[in-house]
Amino acid sequence: MIAPSIIKELTRIVGKENILAELKDLLSYSYDATMRQEMPDVIVFPRSTEQVSAIMKLAHRERIPVVPRGAGTNLSGGTIPLKGGIVLEISRMNRILEINTADRRAVVEPGVVNLDLQNALAPLGYFYPPDPASQKSSTMGGNVGENAGGPMCLRYGVTSKYVYGIEIVLADGTVIDVGDYVEDFPAYDLRGLFIGSEGMLGVATKLILHIIPKPEASRTMLAIFDRLEDTSQAVSDIIGAGIVPGAIELLDQKMCQVIEQSVKAGYPTDAAGLLLIEVAGLADTLEKQVREISEICQKNKARELRIAQSSAERDALWKGRRGAFGSVARICPPYIVCDGTVPRDKLPAALHKVGEIAEEYKVLIVNVAHAGDGNLHPLILFDVKSPEEHKAAKKAGETILDACIAMGGTISGEHGIGLEKMDAMRHMFDPADIAAMRKVKDVFDPNDIFNPGKMFPPEAEAVLPKEKGAAR
Amino acid sequence: MDNTVSPEKQAFYQKLGEIAGAGNVLTGDKAAARYTVDGIAPRAVVQPASTKQVVDIVRAANESRITLVPWGNGSKQHTGPCLEAADTVLCLSNMNRIVELDASNFSVQVQAGMVNGELQKQLAEKNLFFPLDPNYMETSTIGGEIATNSNGPRRIMYSSVRDLVLGVTVVSPTGDIIHTGGKTMKNVAGIDLCRMYIGSWGTLGVITEAVLRLFPMPEASAGLYMTFNDAEDAFRMVGQLLNSPLTPSAIELVDAVTGHGVAEAIGSNLKDSDVLLIVNAEGTKGDVARHVKDVSALAKTNKAQTVITLENEKASPAWTAYRGSHGAMLDANNSVVQGKAAVPISKLGDLVQQVKKIGASRGVKIGLTAHCGNGILYTYLAAEHEALLRITDELKRAAASLNGFFLIEAAPLAVRKEAATLPLRNDYPLMRRLKAEFDPNNILNPGRLLGGLR
Repeated sequence: MIAPSIIKELTRIVGKENILAELKDLLSYSYDATMRQEMPDVIVFPRSTEQVSAIMKLAHRERIPVVPRGAGTNLSGGTIPLKGGIVLEISRMNRILEINTADRRAVVEPGVVNLDLQNALAPLGYFYPPDPASQKSSTMGGNVGENAGGPMCLRYGVTSKYVYGIEIVLADGTVIDVGDYVEDFPAYDLRGLFIGSEGMLGVATKLILHIIPKPEASRTMLAIFDRLEDTSQAVSDIIGAGIVPGAIELLDQKMCQVIEQSVKAGYPTDAAGLLLIEVAGLADTLEKQVREISEICQKNKARELRIAQSSAERDALWKGRRGAFGSVARICPPYIVCDGTVPRDKLPAALHKVGEIAEEYKVLIVNVAHAGDGNLHPLILFDVKSPEEHKAAKKAGETILDACIAMGGTISGEHGIGLEKMDAMRHMFDPADIAAMRKVKDVFDPNDIFNPGKMFPPEAEAVLPKEKGAAR
Repeated sequence: MDNTVSPEKQAFYQKLGEIAGAGNVLTGDKAAARYTVDGIAPRAVVQPASTKQVVDIVRAANESRITLVPWGNGSKQHTGPCLEAADTVLCLSNMNRIVELDASNFSVQVQAGMVNGELQKQLAEKNLFFPLDPNYMETSTIGGEIATNSNGPRRIMYSSVRDLVLGVTVVSPTGDIIHTGGKTMKNVAGIDLCRMYIGSWGTLGVITEAVLRLFPMPEASAGLYMTFNDAEDAFRMVGQLLNSPLTPSAIELVDAVTGHGVAEAIGSNLKDSDVLLIVNAEGTKGDVARHVKDVSALAKTNKAQTVITLENEKASPAWTAYRGSHGAMLDANNSVVQGKAAVPISKLGDLVQQVKKIGASRGVKIGLTAHCGNGILYTYLAAEHEALLRITDELKRAAASLNGFFLIEAAPLAVRKEAATLPLRNDYPLMRRLKAEFDPNNILNPGRLLGGLR
């Protein structure tokens, strides 16, 4: 527990309208989109870099754990205050400071919601490519913390490619600027280390982002298949043909059924799998891409192809995909999201394996995937009242991740490690790899103030990883 | 310099032969002749054949406090801040194979000593390529390009090293093998160490292998070569091009000082104040045709004097000449100073104008090349020592006034010692801590990169 005098001091820093310390408030900040729950001692909502710095000086002096938090939409336990302390919510630092299309840059505070940035850029003919499914509510600071992806990252790449500079407040309150508005400063890539560091190295207070002109045209299509194998093979064939659509999302039958129960996107509920494909580029060459993709889908026995004829139809097709996790939550609140990722051509094999694992552990798994990138999101459903089922679901999730590693893949494509995959880190990395990561943590945060207890597996039980972990 | 060799050091040189084989160790004049760097002659050069051998060498060096200089093909040695010590060169040129080409995943794992140009040849047989095209790509190694964050013109379309390298295997200064990244396009497992090693100039570890992202050869390509009497017209056109939905694969600019090789290759010539703007397009035939049409139209409205379009491989000689212009400028005169500036993209035209003004006021011709889509400018000039320092000082101020930076890359040793410094930054203390944590005995490339901090 934090002493009342500390709460008072924090109140002096942020003002009483920007601090919460009552039980009901603490409860609502005790969880994220995963199943774990731990209570913080206090939640603060700073409004400036200076306030963040003052908070950190205090936390540093008193050695109080601090968990930076955006909208809390993360899927790996990253924002759960495992050791209590201060939840530092950046949602009120939400100003867009500058948009300069001639420089292809936007400068924002970390609390800016991803979609709000998109909406500010769209009238200028520009966009910020990373588009996590949570974009309606997730913040740019959170996106950076988790190195968020999203459907359009197939063509455009993930968050790390679009963050050029970051103002960071370190654990002792020091403010530093890593990266730059301009490119190529010869220095260690501290921004690269910070992006995806899950709130464990510092807290971002300002972001310099790379923005690009919107493609001239885009087309969205739905390809419907009677066999899941054909669905995933079509993805491999499209990528193999050298076509790079904006996005290729795969949904299996159960996923479509769940979505149709709540979102009503018009997805068929009797098909084994479907692909939601968006192509983007120059208007005069887009039709050719659509034609080539259609031919590949037909060759893989697609039973139907639907091409959106209006922006309303396009939005309807995307509405289903974007609402996928929410729909599952509605019918079965407790579920585990896997984020295993495999080399692109291994998608059919990986999905097949997921099916086998579901049978083996007798759990219900529904599948959605950023298929073009080999990024799976099997959702494992279970009855929260049945400890056996919960256990089986966890075991199934771990088995899927091990299968991804065995195929030359990784345990997380875009959701991060957090609390959920700490153990799996050992299957992926050698002790020396993890020790090197810990060194980075020590350099940034020697007293382990930021988000303690996450990412790294407990040191004592070092075991050797499976074959084919990281780049070997 | 102290020429006595302690018994411990003697034992180390002995050990090099045991680890890598006596035939793969050079000492004495043989080492000095080709591998003297920043005025320091190394006592030994060792050419390991595997990551395991690198581990043994680095571990032994760390125990004996021997400084090591990781070396690919040496393209970027003599660049930037000077080395403080260079006892033994760790040359990776024997580690030059493809480990695994996974064509259907569009990835390749290579040993770090593989030369980029050789890799491209092997990839071309599978109709694939790796879109990293720095100046020296015909001779520079993949490991060296990653370590020095060396990019080329195509970065505007394919992005830079940090987005093209999926993972690296590194031997740490204490002799541990560190695996980072992997084969997947997306990967957020743990702290992203791969990015830390990219551009770290061999100061944090020795890169021994890398997994690279590949692309299928485009169906078509075209280069448009446009001359302008006034650089301002060229930069106006660049602004319009960047603000369009077009996706050129390169937007480069050369002036009459640096551009004569390219001009010759395309059968054109450049008058004194002319600039040559090169726009490259690649993709499907339809995409390329559309770019040729739109870019030509933009050139016309922006007063281009001539527009030459070269399709597909017809543009190759001009690209070779373009890449060669850097070496040609440096070779022309051994007192040439090559600097690099980066400013906000929209300010590049202003910087060019200021550079020309500074040159004119000092009576010195300054040659230029630029990556226009990234706000990056390379300058070449020769002058006597004092004048050089004054001019580079003015260039630093000019870039800083546009919210960018200018620094000296290649230059005579005396100039580099005095002027290859970096502008102050508030993240340097953290970088120093990073170096100290990873390389506690400062054995890897001491002085490089962070040595420019004053």
